[in-house]
Amino acid sequence: MRAAVCTCWAALALSACASQNLTIRRLPAETPAADNAAAVKNAAVLAAAAAGASREIAKQNTKQAVIPLTTADAPSMYSYDPWERVNRFTYRFNARFDEAVFLPVAYGYGRLPAPIRSGVHNFFDNLTDVQSTINYALQLHPMAGVRTLGRFLINSTLGIGGLFDVAAKLNLESAPTGLSATMSRWGMHPGPYLVLPFYGPSTLRDAVGLFGDFGISYAVDIAQLYRGNKTWLLGTVNAIDQRSSASFRYYSTGSPFEYETVRFLYVHKELIEDDARHAKDRQKQRDTTPSGQ
Amino acid sequence: MKGPAALTLTLLLAGATHASSPALHLEPLDTGPATGLADSAALRATIFGTPPQEMASLPESVPLEEIDIAMPWARPVPEVFWFDRRLRVWFSAQDKPAPLAIVISGIGSDGNTSLLSTLRAALYGAGYHVLTMPSPTFPGFIVAASSTGVAGDLLQDDRDLYAAMQQILTHLPRQVQITDVDVLGYSLGGANAAVVKSIDAVEGKLNIHRAIMINPPVSLFTSVARLDKLFAVSIGSGDAGVERLYKRLYTRLANLYRMSDKVRTDDNDLLAAAAVVLKTDADFSAAIAFTFRIALMNMFFAGDLYAGTGVVIDPKHPPRVNDSLEETARTLRDKPFSEYFTQVFAPFYLAHRVNSTPESLKADNNLAIIAVPLRKNPDYYAQTNSDDVILDKSELAWLQSTLGDRIAVYDHGGHLGNLGERRQIADMLEMLSGHWNDPGR
Repeated sequence: MRAAVCTCWAALALSACASQNLTIRRLPAETPAADNAAAVKNAAVLAAAAAGASREIAKQNTKQAVIPLTTADAPSMYSYDPWERVNRFTYRFNARFDEAVFLPVAYGYGRLPAPIRSGVHNFFDNLTDVQSTINYALQLHPMAGVRTLGRFLINSTLGIGGLFDVAAKLNLESAPTGLSATMSRWGMHPGPYLVLPFYGPSTLRDAVGLFGDFGISYAVDIAQLYRGNKTWLLGTVNAIDQRSSASFRYYSTGSPFEYETVRFLYVHKELIEDDARHAKDRQKQRDTTPSGQ
Repeated sequence: MKGPAALTLTLLLAGATHASSPALHLEPLDTGPATGLADSAALRATIFGTPPQEMASLPESVPLEEIDIAMPWARPVPEVFWFDRRLRVWFSAQDKPAPLAIVISGIGSDGNTSLLSTLRAALYGAGYHVLTMPSPTFPGFIVAASSTGVAGDLLQDDRDLYAAMQQILTHLPRQVQITDVDVLGYSLGGANAAVVKSIDAVEGKLNIHRAIMINPPVSLFTSVARLDKLFAVSIGSGDAGVERLYKRLYTRLANLYRMSDKVRTDDNDLLAAAAVVLKTDADFSAAIAFTFRIALMNMFFAGDLYAGTGVVIDPKHPPRVNDSLEETARTLRDKPFSEYFTQVFAPFYLAHRVNSTPESLKADNNLAIIAVPLRKNPDYYAQTNSDDVILDKSELAWLQSTLGDRIAVYDHGGHLGNLGERRQIADMLEMLSGHWNDPGR
């Protein structure tokens, strides 16, 4: 493990010093035919979902369960970022690490046959269902907790240790949640914007949630996966799997305002999620809470 | 990985973050586009693009290489642009000798947009090597390959583009065998493609055979003025306008999620949501205008920095890498292209181009500068739509009279809203192969 860490740092140092004038990098092949076929299918699903949403809205209107937000409820468009200088430094570090280490490894991984990658992906998703179950319980959402536990049990057995998402085929779709959502459920604000080393954009609440969720997994310790050296190995494979499925490239916008744009999108997406969650929990509206100030 | 997942939405939401009042009525501007700016179908097509079920048949697999290359003439890289030192382009190679299609992106965009991806797939499927390049107005190009740093001048940008193409082609892997070279581009990239071909006709370094303009502007500044006006009408000026629009969109998205069963907001949900919250012509107009404004903000920032014009950047104290640019972004968000022209572009080019006037600078940014080859050379082609929002009737008529039977004008599609559609792709490939005018086609 130490050797791996040293290699990473050496690669980073090298990339920082590198003044190469030409780099040619082979990317995983694009699959336009399959992508378009998926888009055709998605369009149909979206149309159905839109129809479902209007039905749901009509139903909600009759029940008067949710009072719609007005523009006065929208938080400021500026994001609370008291640690901006450190965050900017970390964002740049992440970009360099991504280019030098993370992305090349993820591209290599992307060349493995699709069934292997989906098996790995499902395996980690299945482990996430453990922490989701506990968090749903903490959020007092027993039904969602039971559904997620059901998913975990089905996929761990019929799905051969989580390699296949059998539960999704039985209409038990994945709906992960985490400690950050639990804290939001009990009224905690996202807090300051925070860029985590290696991981990327986050908020203080998300960061605490991330470590808390790892704590939950560590405490439950399914199949003794969270003890000893294999924890590092699994964590690394998990990170590579996640990077491989995210199409994001640091600084692909080429823009000097990328940091501001990413921060805006991340923070406001989280605030929208909070608003939605609070409406569902039928709590009092969060209309007086200062946001993003 | 939540962060990156959110980031893939950057461009989408950049366009969709500012929905407008449904009550707002848009008057057709000036002489109006071919069928009027208030044409709902054109605006809708411009926003949503070609529906996937109407896409041309595309290949199963397209190999892709990403090339980062430093240009020998590049200017010193300002600290805030440290990540743009090398020009990034994308290349798909056939494994046999084949013609090369070089495709240029639209204003402010990089060389790997989804539109370029569609064109790449279609061209690769038809047997071309494909090189996709950013627009010379993309910050990555301005920093790595522009000889001035002040983007937006058709001829200067295309000289830089032409030089960059030569650098890239000399560094392609040796086993790539190129039998012919064609250039294409969409939107501003279309105009770039045609001008690059005309430069090559004189210099002869690449021997470019055919050029295809897809939804090109005729007069850059006229098209851009239309987009500025669209911004003023649909969003309004001042920070309050943008803030008001942000609040409307936030409220709409939040309410949508409050109504929905799922609390999760992943990429697809947000995409769907953006489609749902943009409803009216005013919304579509605001999204189009704001997307363009984002591109302009980057160009303005880079131009001001390189030219030292001091509009938003103190030339003596340029921003450092850890400095917040929030206030700068806020100022630039309110600046239309006309201010870029008067405060950065014109001062720079008037100082560097002998005998130029603001009027001559405007006149030079027009396809009319290559009217003669466009009219006489049978290797220039164009595809556009009669309801393209960046053209007015007289400009469309000029394109038609200049190119004669070498232009395809489709009834519908707005600006780029039919790119990738079966007929557009089939026509494009026939133009490239020189069979577009074949009798009995």
